[in-house]
Amino acid sequence: MSDSKDKGGLSRRGFLQGSGAVAAATALGTIPTGASAGQQAGGNGQQVPGMGPNGVKLSLNVNGRSMNTTVEPRVTLLDALRNYLDVTGCKRVCDRGSCGACTVLVDGKPVYSCSMLALEARDKPIRTAESLVAGAKLDAVPEAFARFDAQQCGFCTPGFVVAMKAVLEANPKATQAEVERGLCGNICRCGTYEQMRDAIYSLCNQQRRT
Amino acid sequence: MPWPTTRRVIGTKVQRLDGPDKATGRARYSFDINLPGMLHARILRCPHAHARIKNIDSGAAEKTNGFRALHIIANAGVQLFFAGAEIVAVAADTEEHADDCLHAIRIDYEVLPHFVKEADALRAPDGPSTVPGGTPNVRPGGDFSTAKFDDVAYEGTAPRVEGTYGVAIISHQCLESHGLVAQWDNDLANLTVYASTQAVPLTAQALAQNFKLPVTRVKCITNYMGGGFGSKFGPDIQGIVAAELARKARAPVKLMLDRAEEVAVGGQRPSAAGTVRIAGTKEGDIRAYEVDCYGSPGVGGGATVNLGFLPYVYSVPNIKRRHRFVRLNLQTGRAMRAPGHPQNCLLTDQAVDDLAASLGLNPIILRTRNLPQNDQNAVQNDPTSFPALRHTIYTRQLEIIRKLCSWDDRWHPPGRGDGVIKTGLGMALHTWGGGGGPPNPTRVTVSSDGSVLVQSSTQDLGTACRTVPAIITADILGLRPQDITVQIGDSTFGPSTPSGGSTTCPGISPAILKAAEAARDALFAAIAPGLNAQAADLSIDTGHVINRANNNARIPWRNACGRLGMNTAIGNGDWPTNAQFQQNPDLRREWRGRLTNNGVGGVQVAEVKVDTETGVVRCTRFWAVQDCGLIINKLACESQVAGGVIMGVNYALFEECIYDRVTGRMLNPDMEFYKLGGIRDMPDIMVHMMDMPERGVIGIGEPPTISTAAAVGNAVFNAIGVRVPQAPFTPERVLAALANGRKRN
Repeated sequence: MSDSKDKGGLSRRGFLQGSGAVAAATALGTIPTGASAGQQAGGNGQQVPGMGPNGVKLSLNVNGRSMNTTVEPRVTLLDALRNYLDVTGCKRVCDRGSCGACTVLVDGKPVYSCSMLALEARDKPIRTAESLVAGAKLDAVPEAFARFDAQQCGFCTPGFVVAMKAVLEANPKATQAEVERGLCGNICRCGTYEQMRDAIYSLCNQQRRT
Repeated sequence: MPWPTTRRVIGTKVQRLDGPDKATGRARYSFDINLPGMLHARILRCPHAHARIKNIDSGAAEKTNGFRALHIIANAGVQLFFAGAEIVAVAADTEEHADDCLHAIRIDYEVLPHFVKEADALRAPDGPSTVPGGTPNVRPGGDFSTAKFDDVAYEGTAPRVEGTYGVAIISHQCLESHGLVAQWDNDLANLTVYASTQAVPLTAQALAQNFKLPVTRVKCITNYMGGGFGSKFGPDIQGIVAAELARKARAPVKLMLDRAEEVAVGGQRPSAAGTVRIAGTKEGDIRAYEVDCYGSPGVGGGATVNLGFLPYVYSVPNIKRRHRFVRLNLQTGRAMRAPGHPQNCLLTDQAVDDLAASLGLNPIILRTRNLPQNDQNAVQNDPTSFPALRHTIYTRQLEIIRKLCSWDDRWHPPGRGDGVIKTGLGMALHTWGGGGGPPNPTRVTVSSDGSVLVQSSTQDLGTACRTVPAIITADILGLRPQDITVQIGDSTFGPSTPSGGSTTCPGISPAILKAAEAARDALFAAIAPGLNAQAADLSIDTGHVINRANNNARIPWRNACGRLGMNTAIGNGDWPTNAQFQQNPDLRREWRGRLTNNGVGGVQVAEVKVDTETGVVRCTRFWAVQDCGLIINKLACESQVAGGVIMGVNYALFEECIYDRVTGRMLNPDMEFYKLGGIRDMPDIMVHMMDMPERGVIGIGEPPTISTAAAVGNAVFNAIGVRVPQAPFTPERVLAALANGRKRN
């Protein structure tokens, strides 16, 4: 696929490397702290904090709000948001870091929330597509999606919107090609890429099809 | 009741009403419904392609944390015919606990022989039956021959051309998986489901039947739905199971399939393959088309494999068809976006290009010469019908696309061109029905504050059908689409036709028109006396009611509606019944000849670049010319066409369900190894909508995906000069075709 040769920007490969690091960290039991965590003996005799398997208290900062719940450590950020906190703009589609429908911003960076544990996201600001609207006031990215009809069933759309927002926040002068590269980790089944390109050109203040 | 001749809103580019809600995640899909006390359900499925259940031990499962209910779907002794068949369902307080619960269930199987590949089943015609009833795996699918084919077909033709063409089984891959949330009321007398479905009233009916409830006590809600493509009609097993578990647990239950389940049981498009012999005169008149073809509908019957249109679109005098169904130990195939047509198109249009190459003709010439003629009977009796117009429509479309893609400059004889990366151009044609029908009762309510509500139980799969009622009602009442409130996707609003066959827009549009006009007339009748006018003196202009009885006074809409006082003005609209159509031919001509119609044509051209060292095909540019009668929303229409093309490019280049011969399991039930293209894999697409408002509204959802894969296949052939027989045209297959071509030369 086209993202394999990408340099820079945000690609599916970049996403996967990120989530791979998370998985490795989890396996090593290096989740840093936990107020309600039990204590386990580490290899050198020191007490290393461990958690679970039962529910632990979790506080997440979602769209500027502090939200509290209790989840087992195995719960992904995606499932914590959707099933425990009723934040459903991020969608569960592949659940394996392939499609991008679950993309959220963690610390300003786009992350597949299906591939990050909820506990990993503590103390980090999380933003979902829902943050891109205040009352009737739409952010420029979802506004462009709506104006150019860059969505059909819309189930992938919040993921695309968040991924595109990430590119433009990192580089407000991003070119159309750079924005497209930033969307390589997202898949749309209805086939709205053509209309998405109209939205991208508009957001990049570029002319399409003169 | 004709369509307005001056259309202010209809046919313009209108943003979908729910665009902002979808783009910001505020739109709640069935998958997003969270109810207080809601449980999560999971289904244990058969891991074998063919097996008998020997024993089910669920004792330990019922003792796991959070367990709430269990429902056995298939008991010991039952034979299961594909990997993914449902056995036991459980509900627990969290998804994690439901998973634990599932893992605690033990099933013993007697594993039985299976076939998951067409070639294996075809090689063993007398082999063991692996499908229900012990019936043969390979069954006849209806053969056909024109008179004296063997004697006359090849008379006076240039040498016949033989080719093999095939395409894999693919998955619908709806992004919102199949499933629903089920909620009973306290005395288990009323059931509400939030379902991801293409058929809202049908889903409620099926559940009512299953639970022996009056249909009035089952409510199906589909506010938003994340794609169906033909795979989501009715509750399916998982929907019924969710309601069973909710009843047992006396709590709401959510059961949405995970990705692997979605691919295993959520529908697939049947494969197709055929060996074709085609022959024509040296001038390019196709004389004979002979095909030996088969497709696999999975374990079910053959209904979803339909290769009976071969040869597709073109008029060929001598035809011979041998057709078989190959039943395999896979889920039963389902309708998928223009069921049968993309396969028929691949097995026809690729052979047409191979014939053109052998005759040394430009394929656009061959296509122009072999178009079906306008049916003279239809020209007399049904002049706006597709049979009356098909030659006219295709001829115009070929002219338009020829200019649009600069065919005469870009096209070259197959295989010409230097260098490693070769460019090619390919074309294909398609046709589809797309007519609507009853029942689609619609209600328009005008309130005294000027607000307008349209209600129908229809559903919006992503096609922007939610916006159609707003566009039509706004046009009739002189308002803007965003002034209209639309409520759809609620089975209590009455019946509506399922969204299949591109029938939704033509199904709902005339009913909305009738309801909007009736509401307007009810408003006029109610307020005319107070304005010292007759109802006939009143008319609509943008944002105003005009009173001819008072010097054409312009009354602002809200002021006019304010005269309703405590009342509302209600208009109901629906199709005539089928019985009324039979009694009155004029009625049929009005509704199915002017308000709506059936039958479209389309022409598509693909440009590809083929890397002859790596075998990688990139589709770089695409042109699509499509007619669809009267356009309701040009923005949504163009989006449907481009989306259809993109789905077709996926079909041509990436998608394939790959099954393991030994275990009988699918190897890529995911989105990593089941490939769907991203934005950078897709061509620049130019859409040309051929507006024919005199034909009325015709559906557009399916046709634009039909001919895409064949156009891409022909472009690959044009680029490299050899045919890649099997789609998807992966690097491996392209390299193999190139190697074979070198061997032959």
